Amino acid sequence: MIEPLRLSYEIACAPEHAFEVWTTRVSTWWPKGHSVSGNPETCVVLEPRPGGRIFERTPDGTEIDWGEITLWNPPRRLGYLWYIKRDRNDATDVELTFVDLGDGTTRLEIVHTGWERLGAEGPAWRDANTSGWSALLPHFVAAAEG
Amino acid sequence: MNASAPAGDPFEALGDPNRRAIVEMLGSRGRSVGELADALPISRPAVSRHLRLLKEAGLVVEEAQGTRRIYSLHDQGVEAVESYLTQVWGDAVTRFRLLAENTRPTKRAKGSKRA
Repeated sequence: MIEPLRLSYEIACAPEHAFEVWTTRVSTWWPKGHSVSGNPETCVVLEPRPGGRIFERTPDGTEIDWGEITLWNPPRRLGYLWYIKRDRNDATDVELTFVDLGDGTTRLEIVHTGWERLGAEGPAWRDANTSGWSALLPHFVAAAEG
Repeated sequence: MNASAPAGDPFEALGDPNRRAIVEMLGSRGRSVGELADALPISRPAVSRHLRLLKEAGLVVEEAQGTRRIYSLHDQGVEAVESYLTQVWGDAVTRFRLLAENTRPTKRAKGSKRA
């Protein structure tokens, strides 16, 4: 098992609102240019429901899949397969938890796992190296860029 | 610690899908230009150009093995890439946070549970 990438952020709003912004306004906050097409006019769509698709729609209407919602538990937890710029078989898993800290503050915890699912290169990656290279791989992208 | 500061920006170097593919391939072992070109939909000169950029960014090192030149990942560059990933998430979350903190809930989120 490859070490998950774990990130944590505090957001000054209630979990309900944070969850809604994350899931219904992704096109507004997603960094421009972090897309497969690289076109700044690209629209990012997240279908807010279990099994919903996450994809980009370019100005000419082409849709390119980035992921698929696997866990839909508003306003606390959200999980999706993530394969922006990759084959779906190489998808990694992103899980978000919106923790209510009270006082209208939310802690957003992001856990990104599944690095071992990198197709043929996976086992090699796992063994490849010492400096935690494994944690990064497909994800340049991600957030990528994701 | 013999590496001088890289001249290129590793984040920029990874902004290209072919260069990311090269970095991914080098993750398992060192390879020659020819091996990389065979596996990628781009020409050898194009692979060489990408490798030069990756070298300048401190992500890749080059060594001679007989008559061949073998390219492999540079450990310190890899650490830079790890922090790059963290930064990418951070960029997205920074923008998300700005929006979330400066907007008001318009309605109950669709499908949200009753408190």
